[in-house]
Formats: sequence, C-alpha cells, structure tokens
Amino acid sequence: MKIDRRCFLSLAIGAGAGIALSPLPWKLTDDLAIWTQNWQWTPVPKRGAAKTVNSVCTLCPGGCGISVRKIDDRAVKIEGMETHPVNRGGICTLGLCGLQLLYGPTRVKGPLKRVADRGKGQWMPITWDQAIREVTEKLSAIRKSGRPQSVATMSGASSATLDALLDRFGQAYGTPNTIRFPSVDDAYHLSVSLMSGGKARVAFDFEHAGYVLSFGAGLLDGWGSPVRMFKANALWKQSGVKLVQVEPRLSRTAAKADTWISIVPGSETALALAMAHVIISESLYQAEFVESCSEGMEGFKEFVAAKYTPDIAAKMTGVDAATITMLAREFAKSKRPIAVCGRGQGTIPGSMDMFMATQVLNALVGNLNQPGGVWFVTDQTMQEWPEVEPDAAAKAGLAYPRLDGAKGMVPLKRSLPNQFVQAVASGKDYPIEALLVIESNPLYTLNDTALVKQAFSKIPFIVSFSSFMDDTAAYADMILPNPVYLERMEDVIGASGFPYPTIGLSQPVVKPQCNTRHVGDVLIQLAKGLGDTMARAFAWKDFSACLEASLGDRFKTLKKSVFQVDKSYQPPAPNEIFASERFSFIPRGIQADVAFKPIAAEGDTGGYPLMLMAYDTMRLSNGYIGNPPFLTKILEDTVLKNQDCLIEINPKSAKAAGLDEGDRAEIQTPKGKALVRIHLDDGIMPGIVAIPRGLGHEAYDVYLAGKGINVNSLVGSLSDPISGFEAAWGIRAKLSKA
Amino acid sequence: MKNEQSHETTKKFGMVINLDLCTGCGSCMVACMAENNVPFKPDETDKLKSITWMRVYRLTNGKSFPETDICYLPRPCQHCEGHGGHSPCVSVCPATATDYDSQTGIVSQIYTRCFGCRYCMAACPYHARYFNWFDPVWPDGMEKYLNPNVSPRMRGVVEKCSFCYHRYQAAKDRAYVEGQREIEEGDYQTACTQACPAGAITFGDLNNPEHAVYKLKQDANAFRLLERLGTNPKVYYISSKEWVRRAADNYLPNEKTGK
Amino acid sequence: MSEHEHMEVSAAHSPRNNLKDGSGGMVFLFFLIGLAASLIVGWVIFPKLLYSQKRQPVDFNHVLHNGLVSDGCTSCHFFRDDGTFSGAPTLAQCVDCHSDVQGESDEEKRFVEEYVKKEIEVPWLSYARQPNCVFFSHAAHVKIAQMDCVTCHGATGESEHLRPYEYNRITGYSRDIWGHNIAGIKHNTWDRMKMDDCAECHQQKQSMLGSVQTQKEGCFVCHK
Repeated sequence: MKIDRRCFLSLAIGAGAGIALSPLPWKLTDDLAIWTQNWQWTPVPKRGAAKTVNSVCTLCPGGCGISVRKIDDRAVKIEGMETHPVNRGGICTLGLCGLQLLYGPTRVKGPLKRVADRGKGQWMPITWDQAIREVTEKLSAIRKSGRPQSVATMSGASSATLDALLDRFGQAYGTPNTIRFPSVDDAYHLSVSLMSGGKARVAFDFEHAGYVLSFGAGLLDGWGSPVRMFKANALWKQSGVKLVQVEPRLSRTAAKADTWISIVPGSETALALAMAHVIISESLYQAEFVESCSEGMEGFKEFVAAKYTPDIAAKMTGVDAATITMLAREFAKSKRPIAVCGRGQGTIPGSMDMFMATQVLNALVGNLNQPGGVWFVTDQTMQEWPEVEPDAAAKAGLAYPRLDGAKGMVPLKRSLPNQFVQAVASGKDYPIEALLVIESNPLYTLNDTALVKQAFSKIPFIVSFSSFMDDTAAYADMILPNPVYLERMEDVIGASGFPYPTIGLSQPVVKPQCNTRHVGDVLIQLAKGLGDTMARAFAWKDFSACLEASLGDRFKTLKKSVFQVDKSYQPPAPNEIFASERFSFIPRGIQADVAFKPIAAEGDTGGYPLMLMAYDTMRLSNGYIGNPPFLTKILEDTVLKNQDCLIEINPKSAKAAGLDEGDRAEIQTPKGKALVRIHLDDGIMPGIVAIPRGLGHEAYDVYLAGKGINVNSLVGSLSDPISGFEAAWGIRAKLSKA
Repeated sequence: MKNEQSHETTKKFGMVINLDLCTGCGSCMVACMAENNVPFKPDETDKLKSITWMRVYRLTNGKSFPETDICYLPRPCQHCEGHGGHSPCVSVCPATATDYDSQTGIVSQIYTRCFGCRYCMAACPYHARYFNWFDPVWPDGMEKYLNPNVSPRMRGVVEKCSFCYHRYQAAKDRAYVEGQREIEEGDYQTACTQACPAGAITFGDLNNPEHAVYKLKQDANAFRLLERLGTNPKVYYISSKEWVRRAADNYLPNEKTGK
Repeated sequence: MSEHEHMEVSAAHSPRNNLKDGSGGMVFLFFLIGLAASLIVGWVIFPKLLYSQKRQPVDFNHVLHNGLVSDGCTSCHFFRDDGTFSGAPTLAQCVDCHSDVQGESDEEKRFVEEYVKKEIEVPWLSYARQPNCVFFSHAAHVKIAQMDCVTCHGATGESEHLRPYEYNRITGYSRDIWGHNIAGIKHNTWDRMKMDDCAECHQQKQSMLGSVQTQKEGCFVCHK
C-alpha cells in the first residue's frame, strides 16, 4: 500500500464527483447568471405609496396646471392637470422635463460666494446668515452714501406678488431701476393703450375663431400656453377653421397651417397694411363697428392707398399682389377671423408697427371683444398693500431718471432691459453699483450679449438669486439660490393669451432639495436688516404672509384648488370699451408714417448678403430656464450635431456660397461671428439663414454647456422708436466656408 | 377558477395617430422617457445610439421652396402581429426575451432575459428597438425621479416601447381591488397618449367596438407603416395628405397608392 | 441520500483496482476522502459562504399583534386604493399605537426611542421581496385567485420573533426566493419563490396562455 499519483488522481475524481453531486455548481451557475445583469450601479427605484399633487407650472407664462405623481416623498412624473382650463390635461415638452430641473446637477445647492476672478467658476459655500449679512451691508453702505439709485434689479419672475415686492423694494430703498423682462404681452398691452386708450391684457378666443391669420406668431411653436394652442389647432383641423401662417420659414406652425405664405422677414406690416387697403377699398370691413366705435379711418385709408397697395406691398414682401388681395378677401369674408402677430414664442416683444397693423385688421373686421375674437381682458387684481413711506434718502434716489429711459407710459411697469444695459455699458447718467438678478439670465437672453457682458463687467457687485448655475449666475459675485417652482409657493395671475381671467397658486410639491430660500423671503430679510422705513415697508413675517396679504381670502381657497378661473367672463361690449375713447386706426399723437414703419435689420446688404433670423422651437427652452437633458436629447440631428449648431439655409443660397450639407462654415454678422455647420432645408426662403434660440450656453451642466451657439450674441439690439422695446428680429449676415 | 377566467375576451391594444393634428413638438417622446426611465447621455446627437422608444420623424415631400411640405410622424413600437403573433422580432429572438402575447397583442421585451445579440433589431423594419451601448447613468440625485413600476435597463440589452404595459397592470390591480374584473378604456392609456397636447394619439383595444381606436382605424385616410411587408402592425396613422400616405410604404415611382 | 448511493457505486468498482497492485485500497480511500470532502464543501460549507445574515432593525412579535388587531394580516399589510399592496407597514401606521411606549418590552422601548421619536422609517428587510425585474400583483393573487397569505408566506403570522434576514452574497436576493433547502427541494408551497414555482400555477390556466414563443402565459405578466 503506497500513496502514488493514482491516489491523488482518485482524490481529484472523488472531489469532482462530490462537487457534481452537491448543489454547488448548479446553484452557482444560477446565481452568477443573475449577477451578470444586476450591476450595482443600475439603480433600483424605491417603491412606495403613490399620490398626486396639483400645482401650476411657471416655467413659461402659459400658466398650465400640472399633476405631479409622487412615490413617498419623491416626485416621479409631471403630467397635465385634467381639470385645468388652460391645458386640460395636456402637457408640453418642457413641462414634462420639470423633474430634471428639480433633481438636476445644475442646481445651486446653497449660497455661494465668488473666490476667484469673475466667471472663473470658483466658489465658496457660505451660510445664509453670512450671505444676507454681506448683501445687507453692501446695500446699506450704498444707501448711506446717498446713491440708492445705483442699485438695480432685473427680474423675470412669474409671480405677480414677487413683482410687486421688487417694486416695493425699489420704492422703499430709493431706486427707480427695477427692471423686468417684457414680452409680446406687453407689446399687445401697449397697442391697446395707443389705439384704444385703456389698460388690458390682450387675449385671443382661438377656440371659437373661424379663421386665423398669424404674422409670424409661432402659434404651434410655443406661443402663449403651447398646450392650449395645440388643442386649439386640433379643434381648427376638426372643424375646418383655416390657419394661415405668414413667415419666411416653414416652422411647425407653418407646416400645420392650411396656407403658408413665405414672406421677406420684416415686411409683415406691409402685408397687413396692403390687406387693410384691399378690405377698405372693396368695402369688406365691418361698417357698424368702424362707424360707431372707431376714428381715423379716413386718414388711414388715404395712407394705405398711397403707400400700401398690393402692388407696392408685393415688391416689399415677396408675396404677389393677387395673393395679398385673395388673402384680404378671405380674411374679411370669414366668420370670426383673428389676426395675431409676435415672432416665434413671443418672448421678445418686437416692434410696435406689427402689433398696430394687426390690430387694424382685427378692428376692420370688427372682431375686437367679440366671441372668437381678440379680447381685452382685465385680470383679477392683488389687494393693495399699505403705502410705502420713502425716507429722504429714498426720495432723493427716486428723483433720478430710470437708466432704461422708460417713463410712466402704460403699461405702467414697462421696462426696457436692452436700453438699461446700453446705459450701463456706456456709463451714461450714473453708474450701477449693485445688481440683483432674479429668475432671469440677461447675460444669455438679451441681444448683443457682448454688450451685456461689457455692462455687467462695470457693475462691481452682482447678486444672482438663480436656482441654477446659469450664465448670469456664473458671472455673479454671490448666488443666493431660490427654490425651483416645484418647491415653492407663488401666485400666477393671468395666462398668456388666454381669454379668461385666471389666477393660480403654484404649490410646493416636494420638500426643498437644496439649501435654498425664496427670493421673497430674502428680500424681506434684507429689508429688515436695512431697518427704519425699509423694515416698516416689509413688515411681513415671510413671503407666504406677503402672498396672503396680496391674495386675501383667495389665498386659502387657492391653496386647495390651485387655480381659479372666471369662465363666465365676457369681454366688454364695443360700446362700453370704446364709449369714451374710440378705436383709432392711427394711434393718437403718432404719424401714420412713424407708427407703421417697419424696423429694418441691422447691417448693410452689400457686405452681408444673407439675413440671419432666430427661431423658436418647442424642443429648446430659450429663456431663464436652460434646456433640460431630455429636451436636448430630442433635438433633431439637423439642429445640433455633437457640439455643432446647424444653421438652416435654402439649398439655392448654400450653393451660391459654395456650401453643402454638413459643411463647416463661419457665420459673420456686424455683431460677431461663430462656427456652424450647414443644414440644407427647402423649407426656408432663399437668402435667409436661421438659428434656433436656446443653444450656446457657457454655463449649466455637461448636458447643455458648450453646445451650439447663442444666436443672441450674433444679433444686435434695436429699440422700437415708439415703445423702446427690443425690436431686432434678425441681422444681416454672411457665410464663408471654414 | 378556470371557469372564471374563461369569459375573458382577447384584447388587442393598438394606437391610431392622427398626423394632421401632430405638430411634432416631442411631448410624446419626453413623456415616454420620463415614464419609462429611459436614460440620457451628455451627447445624444448620434441618433443611432440614442434611445427613444417613441421617436418623432420628420418627413418631407421632397419639393423645393416654396412647394416644400413637412409632416411629423411619431413612431412607437408597432407591436406587429405578423401572422399568428409571429412578428419579425419575436420570430428571431434566440433567448425568448421578446414575445408576442395573444391576450393583449403586446410585444414584450424582458431585459433580464435578453443577452444582447440584436437579431431583433436587425429584424425590425421600423427601427423601434434600441440597444444599450452604455451603462445608464443618472446624475447624482436624479435617480430620485425614476418610476418604480419600470425597471431601469442595464448595458448590453435591447429595449423598446411596451405600450406602457405597467400601466395596464396597474389599471388591472386597481380594478381588482375595487372588485371589478375588467378595466375601462380610460383606465389604461399610454404615457404618450396622455401627454400629447394636440390629442393626436388615441389608444385602446382594436377589438372592442366601444373603444375610439376601433372606429378610427377604419378612417378612409388610415394606413399603417410598411403594410405590404405583412408585419401586420397595431399602430395606425391618419393623414389627409396623399404624399404622406405614400411615404409610409415603399412604392415604386409609378405605382399607385391604395389598398 | 445521494451520498449513500454513490458510496455503494464506488465500492462496487474498487476490487478490480485492488487486484492489479496493492494500492487499490489507497486509491479508493483517497477517492472517498475527495468525495466526502467535496460533498461537505458543497452541501455544508458552500451554503454558509453563499448566504450572509442581517438582523432585522427591530424584533417584531406577529402573534402578539395579531391578537390585538381585528382584520388579521390585512390590518397592517393592506391594499392601497390604487390597487398596490402596502407591504411592510410604515412608521405612520405604527405610530397609531406606539406614539409612546405601550408595554414592557425592551425592544418596543428601543423602537419608540430610535424610530418613532426621531421620525425615522424602520428599514425592514423584506424576506419575500422579488427582484426588481419581477412584477408581482398581490391584487391578482389575493382578490381574484383568492389565495391565502399563508400559501406564499407560510406561517409568518405565527412567529413571536423575526428570524434573521438571509441574503445571497452573489445576487443580493433574499434566501427565501431560492428557499432554505440548498438543493431547491420544497415541501410546502411557501418554501420557494423562484420562477418555476410561479409557473406551476401559471401554466395551468388554459385561457390565459397567450405567449407565442412558449405557449404559456405571456412573459410580461410577471416581468418588467
């Protein structure tokens, strides 16, 4: 008996047999198979009890209701609120992405103080106490040295109460420079003031319209409440209501329209006036309204007859005279026709000539304040707060003129951020020493961003209240982050373009995810810190108390119901609204020539053979809210490819410039140049290139920063001679192969 | 128990998408991604590697300015029935990871069963299937919004639209607890249908005359994509434009459109 | 059982080896040693290595609570209005009675102090939790198929203490899924909860068999 290799062989065979007879290999195989598909880094969403919280979306001025689905304390999905009158259960692309904003990496997690050079992205987290103390000290020092006018606020806030609170802050502190960002709504509002003498939000009863003529308004590209407009369009399609889109580019609105009239951009007014000429000369207008409720018809008639016959307009617009005449007849003969304007989504107010020409058409067919027409809506108002008693320092500051040059014209809160920036950049009048930026991103959204940056570089102290690390926040000295819309309570009065008075109260859907404070709370704390009259003017405990003070009894009911709408609202009858002041075809105190003069694009035609226009799309958020990852994901690869922005150009124009699909090119305008790629598209007029708004951010996260170019940096600022509003819709440009 | 089950009728869930109403906004795509835990990457411009169960295509009539026209076409998984449930993808799956359920007409995809051979992707004529080339990564904190009713997928498997099957299950559970056996049309709607702001998408049981889709699919302008391949899809489209209906199938230049 | 059989088989072959050279016995012995050692590894050590244990955060007496509530299991493990099943109770339910210490148990005192007072949810470890790829509808089984809790969960309601939570180190799943018998042998319906165990019932329902691939029920019925 000896131990040899056979023994060990036998041992191994025995071991093998034993293992095979044990569950080990079979169980291990099963477990390993499971293991290969259960990577630890693949998250397993936690289960829990589901519930739904209703609120109002404030990502755009549309004012839609949202239903947020929650699992325990997590928000997992945003859906449209079924019972909300504006969106009736539908929801837009941006609204659906809200949770990516809430939980996204772009959030500013707590108060930050800049430690390196401006815009270098080096921050030091500080406590709220320190943040508020430092801002209070700064504001206090400026006020004590007798220059309160040199503090300015720029706000894009959607909350009416917050808006009022900012104005109050300016009043009590002593600065006239409370700037907010006007939109197409303000331009409409002003057109009512100028032509009808009154104050009202202009809205459209699209659901009952019989014919819709849109001069460049992106009705299906995010105008008003996008969801409401999509639903209205569906209604038009089903009931045979014709939609005519006048625009140089085959936008989504143009694509869905029954008729697309491509037009030389900037000449829309000429088309509208030529249509007015046809309607008047063929006596197609609504005689009853014109005779009993309007004035200035004769003068207007002569003006258009001399300057805007279809033949003349055809040369300006590129639309042939027969089409203009046909369009005018069709419009005037339709039941309940509506004319509407405002470029793209209407975030930039635009030039007044267009708005007034549009209102002329609506007046000619007598469709002002009629069912299925254009309504002048008076929204619910806030309750008055006790008057501010400005002290001597405040009075002295308020005696200075506003830097943006806006005076007490209606609408009362008119402000002109573009002109404010110009004044600061040029150092006109007096310098700005501190700027508070609320819910806005002026360094990105204003035209001529180089000038905005130049202006901001002259301001020694910039505080951003942004929830996100946006372009302006990244350039600020301090960031005092505001909670995002799903974490805070705010009032929303009126819904853009919606014909019924509404009031909404957005609700905190989840607990604050970051160390944030509501900007309203911070303002109150700052005021208390500044003491005396400031503290007295801001006697509220917090912003919630302030909301209660402005909403009164409605506060409690709105907390439950989320919104209130006056569906029984009827617009005032023509003889009511136009009793004291008639509708004036030529705005009072303004020459027809001036009133209806289109704004030409900047740049000479010789050096810049092309016309660059910015366009809006539902797949790009282009304002204060940066594009969330899902929206960037669904951008077509004909708009963005890797980091490159593609510009739309007609194949004919591209050929003339020696460019083909996908080619890299340099686009140059009087304001700057950028590298882009070419996308050939037959849906755009030759001679025009189009770039979407919403790309080219320098800040935000890896999902957005550095993608494409910011078209606002290529377009200069042009002020409308009547309103002062930003009127630039494009700029001359040239393309060269790169 | 067997007798209780036997009175159940067979369902055939399907969709009718009205292209005249669709504005191409993309809400259906985002609603789908938000509902179904679809991941995203810093760069999604390579559309061959970008996962979008629902995808809106942009069709053009190919004419030059100003006669050019465009139409948007949302494309979920078509849930082909083929002949007797032998849809193109189900027939080729070697792993039994994808299956046709004749009880609902839904083509299922079981991620833990799939081993990523991608035969089904090659077989699908609609490009409705997507491969996970990368690990899904949600930025820190963003995994909070993930829907517990849908499991996040792992790298190396194929995924596609499920007609929000989890919503069907949830609707059934709700009905069971309420003491009912059957669900109503409104109880089970896909996320894209619910979100569509234009109301272009209608979803329901194609076999049930009381459901809206039953009538809509018989519309004179209704058609299906690549119908002549015999895939027998359950997604119908309606368009009043002849060129759109033509674009839906591979017609020869001189061939006439029609059924 | 199988160990014994194989010993006999091996023994039957050994004499031949013995005849050739005298080392046959040694070879056989080594075989036996190898066999025995690996059988011990496979049947005894492997399960010990494969599974790890965790203690439940708080001990819980099902018997005691069952005596105090009126609706049996469903008093605490109930269906929500939306048709989902609540599973392990949340703190909100416990607080109904345990806002303060009720009895004399140390464990209850600890529960009240560590969880109730601090408003921290108890991180119960769920023995019966299926993997994330599985959709399990309690409503379908309880409300429609009229199955009892015991059919799948056994006599949990009769326990006075919570047993340790055992989980598979490789898959992370609870041991109850595979079952406590390492060979996967089950004697009761609640011993195992693998896919085959579900299929036992599911492939019998003739009217529900819709799968074109397998002729059984569709995969989506249980998988997500």
